[in-house]
Amino acid sequence: MYFPSTHARRLGVHLLLSVSLLAGAAGLTGCGSDDDKSITIYSGRSESLVGPIFEAFTAQTGIAVEARYGSSNDMALTLETEGTKTTADVFLSRSPGPTGYLDDLGMLAGLDDDVLAEVDASNRAGNENWVGFAGRARVLVYNIDEVPEADLPDSIFDLTGPGYEGLVAVPGSNSSFQDWFTVFRLRNGDDVAIGWLEDMVANGSHFYPKNRAIVEAVGRDEVRFGLVNHYYNHQEVAKNGDDQRSANHGFAPGDDGGLMIIATASILDSSDDKEDANRFLAFLLSDGQQRYLTDTVFEYPLAIGVAPADRLPERPADTVGAIDIDDMATEFKRTIEIIEASGVLDQ
Amino acid sequence: MSENPAAAPSTANAARFRAGIGQPPWDLSVGAIAVATLFALPGGYVLWRALTGGALHLLVERRSLEPLWHTVQLAFLVSASTALLGTALAWLTIRTDLPLRRFWRVVAPLPLVYPSFVGAAAFRSGLTPGGILHDLAGHLGLDLQFRLHGLVGSWLVLTLFTYPYVYLPVAARLSALPSSLEENARLLGDRPLQVFRRVVMPQASSSIAAGALLVFLYTVSDFGAVHLMRFETLTQTIYRTRLFDQGRSFALALLLLALALLVVATERTVARRGSRSEVIGDRSPLRIPLGHWKAPAIATCSLVVGLALFAPAVSLADWGLFGWFRQRRGLAELRLDWGDVAGATWSTVWVSMVTAVVAIAVVLPVAYLLARHRSRLGGIVNSVVVAGFAIPGLVVAISLIFWTLHASPFEFLIGTMPVLVFAYVVHFGALAVRTAQVAVSSVPRQMNDAARLLGAGRLRRFFTVDLPIMAPGLAAGGGLVMLSTMKELPATLLVSPIGFRTLVVRIWDTYEALYLAEMAILALVLVAISALLTWFLVVRRSDHLA
Repeated sequence: MYFPSTHARRLGVHLLLSVSLLAGAAGLTGCGSDDDKSITIYSGRSESLVGPIFEAFTAQTGIAVEARYGSSNDMALTLETEGTKTTADVFLSRSPGPTGYLDDLGMLAGLDDDVLAEVDASNRAGNENWVGFAGRARVLVYNIDEVPEADLPDSIFDLTGPGYEGLVAVPGSNSSFQDWFTVFRLRNGDDVAIGWLEDMVANGSHFYPKNRAIVEAVGRDEVRFGLVNHYYNHQEVAKNGDDQRSANHGFAPGDDGGLMIIATASILDSSDDKEDANRFLAFLLSDGQQRYLTDTVFEYPLAIGVAPADRLPERPADTVGAIDIDDMATEFKRTIEIIEASGVLDQ
Repeated sequence: MSENPAAAPSTANAARFRAGIGQPPWDLSVGAIAVATLFALPGGYVLWRALTGGALHLLVERRSLEPLWHTVQLAFLVSASTALLGTALAWLTIRTDLPLRRFWRVVAPLPLVYPSFVGAAAFRSGLTPGGILHDLAGHLGLDLQFRLHGLVGSWLVLTLFTYPYVYLPVAARLSALPSSLEENARLLGDRPLQVFRRVVMPQASSSIAAGALLVFLYTVSDFGAVHLMRFETLTQTIYRTRLFDQGRSFALALLLLALALLVVATERTVARRGSRSEVIGDRSPLRIPLGHWKAPAIATCSLVVGLALFAPAVSLADWGLFGWFRQRRGLAELRLDWGDVAGATWSTVWVSMVTAVVAIAVVLPVAYLLARHRSRLGGIVNSVVVAGFAIPGLVVAISLIFWTLHASPFEFLIGTMPVLVFAYVVHFGALAVRTAQVAVSSVPRQMNDAARLLGAGRLRRFFTVDLPIMAPGLAAGGGLVMLSTMKELPATLLVSPIGFRTLVVRIWDTYEALYLAEMAILALVLVAISALLTWFLVVRRSDHLA
């Protein structure tokens, strides 16, 4: 027969002890320091990339930065759900899409003139509610052992031809690809854009869920070409040196395939500290931080007068910011529907 | 002994027994209704958004039905294969003289702790050229040509990473069962496999069904694995449309919820038919000698645990070491602050333990209601609690942000630990509720009655009679909650206090920033920590009490 009482008492005591201990720990961790000045940033860029910028800002200004990280879409969705009750002052997004979505909801505030003056008009919103702070070029990554430079295409429309059958990877579900496709579609009309995508599908293009996966796959010649953002290859080369057998190719100037997608910064209209928020944006666009973004993260600086890192290819002529999109949600919804209907996600 | 009142030893007991089966006491009902209300918050939000989103007509279109069909296919396949694997491993490690049993019992539940995006990525990269598994196979003269993707890829990865949902409850059930029946079967000349089929299966079937149900619900809500394997399920569409096409996103989430409720109700109907036997005092350990089956048994365990736990770990170690050597050669430094890693580890440990304890406490009233009383209320509460597991973590997080800020007096709690723990509990309570129910029904009623006759109050009876007997089952359920909490990402990112970082938050950050070496090291820390906790809290506890 089994006599449980001593075990039980011990178990009960254990449980009680651990709960109270853990509750104590929770209390300690929950009490953050309540400094005089702080701003809250919702960041769609990862902590590894922008964390150093936040620390530098605090060191210089004494204003603490409280940051929540997540994908840009999730951050925008959270901000929409929180509405005016959000504690966020600043929203950093990987691309204009989620920012424009919040702008359409009337959640963003106009920016100070000295922040706007830091960037070219093509790199900020027409209504002056957001600015770009870093750019990524859409490029064709290719395997350098298999493709001679002379054979590289000038136009994205070349990729639907017989020479590229079954050789190109397309990140159909990726948000940068969707940003690019939305602009491509608005410029050329739906018929041309849908036609191009369907031709790509008919030409046996492969679907990959992520840019990074494409660069890796091209590096080992699992697939020969891929449509990606430029900096993945730079990061792979920085890590692997000559072992990385892939390189970026920019399409001819003015071609629809080459386009700059900009990361954007905006301030919430509900923020009660817009002055410090604007100070942060100005800091983000200062020479020192722009140099960090281009030298360490390999992105294009957008502040006027800051040159890109030497190893980056020439800056694409067009940026997503240059196209004014009236209704972000409607256009992106349409983009997603077209991409799904094309069958590229089943490739 | 079955739950048939006629089999109760005395008429007085039988009367009380029958009384218990009928109407539950009011406080138990109220408690269960309160729990159900809290658990219904995410589902209620989904329902409301879907009904007001104006996109319900899309549900009958091909582009909704095709992902639905993919989801159903995948979920049934994964449930079936994990039921088989999880049960086999549980029986081998609990009931046989398998060598190194303790080792297997610590490592078998661990694959659960890989966040699915890490597991799938490690698995995929390991098998492609340049990956360590591919290269090892190459040295052995094998050329791995296949690329893992689609239904097969998703099925394989999810099977390997979710079988512990079956393994843990079944192992707990087996270690609590009297061994006399199996012993008799052995004495009567049955071989191990026959004993397994004729004796073990019927007794463990409710636990197997409960585990397979959890696997089903996990599979329909998983995003990471199917995304990397490029298999278009409902969750993928829900994620793709989550911001720009919310009407459709919530309509599909409602479809997911309906599917989950249907499966939960079906499982409950089936489970109620199954017989349960209560624990009797006899706890002499029974080890069935495997004889010449020993080699195949070891091979099975090695293959499963090897593929599910060690293959990804080897890939991760490969990446981590690569980063280490890179640093030694002065190329690129590892961007890891060890104090930071320690902090994230501590956060992970305590938040998952608190969540596990709270989850058990919250689902216990539900478990009592389900196990001791046959009422319609029990069925409804069960469905609500369990279906919460099928709602993707992102949707749970968004719904709780909404309720907290816009429809509750608890607005001031947003961004604090209680809301985060609440989100975890609502999402993962399902993992504890069925094991808790099985645990409650394994408490012999006579023991409770005897204690009552001796004058013990309800609380005292709970602590001195029920709790010790239920402990292994509760620990198994709590273990599932703990391991799942440790790897939960969307809710942690969106509703945690700002600045609160668990290991998986760090892992995700390094993964997004392409620091694979750093990601690998952090993931290995996560696996090591979960191994320690599983050993201390789940394996040792059930040993101690068995």
